[in-house]
Amino acid sequence: YPMTIRGTDSVFVCFLNEGFLLGEVRQEETLSISDSHIGSSEFLNVIEVHNHEPCAQLFSFYDYAGNVNEENLNRILKDRRKNVIGWYRFRRNTQQQMSFREQVIHKQLTHILGIPDLVFLLFSFISTANSSTHALEYVLFRPNRNRYNQRISLSIPNLGNTSQQEYKVSSVPNTSKNYASVIKEHGTEFFDKDGVMKDIRAIFQVYSALQERVQAVCCEVDQSERVREKIQEEVNKLKEEIALRKRNSAEEERRLQEAAAVTLPDNSALPDSSHSSLTRVMLSGPSVEPSLERPVNSSSPPVYSTTLPPDSPSAILLPRPQAVGSPGHPSPSLGLGNGDGSSSDSLNRQATGQEDQEDDDDEDSSEYENLVSEQLQPPSLSETVTLGRPATLWPDGDAHSPPGS
Amino acid sequence: MWKCCTVINKRTNQRKRILLDCTSHNGSERGTFRVRRISSLYESRSEHGERGSNGALHRRAHFLNMRHRLAEMTGRPMRVVGWYHSHPHITVWPSHVDVRTQAMYQMMDQGFVGLIFSCFIEDKNTKTGRVLYTCFQSVQAQKGSEYERIEIPIHVVPHEAIGKVCLESAVELPRILCQEEQDTYRRIHSLTHLDPITKIHNGSVFTKNLCSQMSAISGPLLQWLEDRLEQNKQSIIKLQKEKEQLTQELASL
Repeated sequence: YPMTIRGTDSVFVCFLNEGFLLGEVRQEETLSISDSHIGSSEFLNVIEVHNHEPCAQLFSFYDYAGNVNEENLNRILKDRRKNVIGWYRFRRNTQQQMSFREQVIHKQLTHILGIPDLVFLLFSFISTANSSTHALEYVLFRPNRNRYNQRISLSIPNLGNTSQQEYKVSSVPNTSKNYASVIKEHGTEFFDKDGVMKDIRAIFQVYSALQERVQAVCCEVDQSERVREKIQEEVNKLKEEIALRKRNSAEEERRLQEAAAVTLPDNSALPDSSHSSLTRVMLSGPSVEPSLERPVNSSSPPVYSTTLPPDSPSAILLPRPQAVGSPGHPSPSLGLGNGDGSSSDSLNRQATGQEDQEDDDDEDSSEYENLVSEQLQPPSLSETVTLGRPATLWPDGDAHSPPGS
Repeated sequence: MWKCCTVINKRTNQRKRILLDCTSHNGSERGTFRVRRISSLYESRSEHGERGSNGALHRRAHFLNMRHRLAEMTGRPMRVVGWYHSHPHITVWPSHVDVRTQAMYQMMDQGFVGLIFSCFIEDKNTKTGRVLYTCFQSVQAQKGSEYERIEIPIHVVPHEAIGKVCLESAVELPRILCQEEQDTYRRIHSLTHLDPITKIHNGSVFTKNLCSQMSAISGPLLQWLEDRLEQNKQSIIKLQKEKEQLTQELASL
């Protein structure tokens, strides 16, 4: 049951946490003729992913118990519901298997959407202990009758064999005069007056028009990224301001209450002087002026600085929290071993815990927030980034280099 | 970097050599480590003669040229701090040639780093696909004059939005591929001893290759750009609403 995914779509899916895969399922017939039998045709079921519909956040169509909300589902999918062929999820440092919640969700989705062969694409991101090598992995599951570990092969079309060795630098020698005259006479149809193939000009025009359009849409995307960034910043500032004001007014209220509690015993003896004692409190209390300056210890999430703070380089150099291996030292078994980068073991795939726990916290590079907040790590961790440390692993044999590279 | 730059789609057998231009922050040099900050990737076409010690002068001139162009583009002082290339269908580790090339670069600049991206890797047993990247430098091996690789930690700084330079890198890719195809075809086309059938064949190869580029690269890229544009429009609407609500809330406090 081979499946194909188109182009670069799948790569960009990875940072959108979760969403739906849209596409179509069809059958392709392949005919084969060989000496061993007259002819046989094979039918292959092909699932083709055309596009994806990301969810803005986790839990947008299901709850913590994994109950799917059909109304929310329809709101996300709208009229693309009929094109759904699967859904996807992105996780970090976790096992490559469907979690219990995901299985529960998957089962409901198959019923609600009426797709018994719904697929689930799991992306995960893992790193070596010293953070020198990182991998984005993807596995496609096609659960079948409560068996949630069935995987199917995913093929991503590459540019293909566009090797420039296909050009011929010499012609097949031929002394036939007939051959020469026929191909000369009829071959001229293909060339324009400058001796350039007409097809070349035509295809180049198609390419140029396409490239122009790509450039134009790219400019629009760039503008929209800047606008989005700006509004996001404004929203963040407003949230901070609101939080600050709420904090300040809560502080002020607390102080007033404390001050009132302190002066209360005096007031009980002189009931008619309560007003003046309050006045006394107000005059003698500390002046509380709402500060509009940003507090030093803001409760907003630490922003990953775009410029390195000159006195805390270690904040950025700390290794990411890893699934296994001591965080500060290169593991002797690091590396991807097996020559073709395919071994999953050496990138330490053991999960730290249940997927569900990770998911709830796993949003928007939480490990980088961890890094920034852990600025007081002991300096011994700097050895992970010391230049000149010899590699602990050399891959077996040479990398398979194509000739002439 | 996942958000900001594409993982480049590659030809099956060729490895694309691409140079990396970045800003460098050496101000934090203390003790035994340095930090290099990569702010942008700049693709360049495969150039023969760049590898090996003979290419050193050529490389220096090339870097200076790129540095000026990038400084113009970004409006910031730029310098080249590393290089990257891809390993399609093969392991992410640098070959002996890569390690030697890296060593040559380090002769120009000790802090120069190398990045390798490996893609279209699939483990047939676990049916797991992978895209990997690694960062390395070279040191002299203990015995002999060979070099060996050392691992350099690399951290990706997350960003919500995609940077202009990253978008332009993505769009530059099909342009570079087409340019390479044209250059090859031009060389072939200049051969005068070919008969018409061979010329037609070569022209068809060019057409076929350009079609592959359009359907495998330009097309999906355009689709992704359109989808991203739509997502941004939706986000902007939501954020505007949120901004209005928050402004009202702030006013009431």
